[in-house]
Amino acid sequence: MERDLVDYVARSLVDEPDGVEVNMIEGEKSTIIELKVADGDIGKVIGKHGRIAKAIRTILSAASTKTGKRVVLEILD
Amino acid sequence: MTYEFEGKTEREAVDTAVSELGIERDQFDIEVLENQKSGFLGIGKRVRIRVHLDDDRSGTAAPSASSAQRRSRSPGEVVVNPSAESDFEHGVLEFLETLTGKMDNPATATVLYREQDKVAIRLDSENNARLIGKKGATLDAIQTLANIVGGRIGGDGTKIVVDSENYRNRREEQLVRLAEKIGDEVKQSRKSRLLEPMNPFERRLIHTTLSNISGIGTKSEGDGLYKQVRIFYKG
Repeated sequence: MERDLVDYVARSLVDEPDGVEVNMIEGEKSTIIELKVADGDIGKVIGKHGRIAKAIRTILSAASTKTGKRVVLEILD
Repeated sequence: MTYEFEGKTEREAVDTAVSELGIERDQFDIEVLENQKSGFLGIGKRVRIRVHLDDDRSGTAAPSASSAQRRSRSPGEVVVNPSAESDFEHGVLEFLETLTGKMDNPATATVLYREQDKVAIRLDSENNARLIGKKGATLDAIQTLANIVGGRIGGDGTKIVVDSENYRNRREEQLVRLAEKIGDEVKQSRKSRLLEPMNPFERRLIHTTLSNISGIGTKSEGDGLYKQVRIFYKG
């Protein structure tokens, strides 16, 4: 679910949707979601002062309140 | 004086009438103009109502200044078309519906009002509180993304406002009340007070609310997007 969400949002923001890659690492108490985008698209998912990354994280934590598990989004470069 | 309103249900239309005209529910007569139940699974269902107001009361029952200003809607004007009217609007509504679906909280997105370079969209879901989040943080995040996606699909600078359960208006009124209350306290005690961190829009509201009140001043403190407003005594 969370994986899908990040994938959809990232694809909506970038110029190269095919370059979007999302991996999910599930731990006991938290889930790590790794987001990779094409080199030129990094700014598109981070934004000025991390504004976009922050918005994605806020939406992600709202989406994961049902499971009660902490979700961490890592943007890889 | 008659006004017309529209909603998914008769109740929703009445609620809109109440909030738009600033009157009590028992102060007017309504007439259901159209009760369109067509559409698959209730999609596209609209109810139109006509509200009759006594003329002698229409003076006091005029739309409240703030809401009239915000929506630039004149009395009697037919409510806006809630469905997308352009590829841009269609794309934004679709993005919001898909996004909320993937948040496991699918919402219906409809157009609330249109202004020059601005379109407001309303989200309705089973759990709107989850879409709004603490102090509207989730709603703001959804709005941020909607604006970026909107810009990418030909928004041409059109600003998108995302709302749910009239949160934006409620928050605005709440902030104005807060500013007035703390302003009074500062005047009494002559001690300055620091408010909680707020976004630029919310801070401006505090500054403008208190700008005409003598004896106190306001200034923002801190760094970044979420600064804090300090209300101080200046005698």
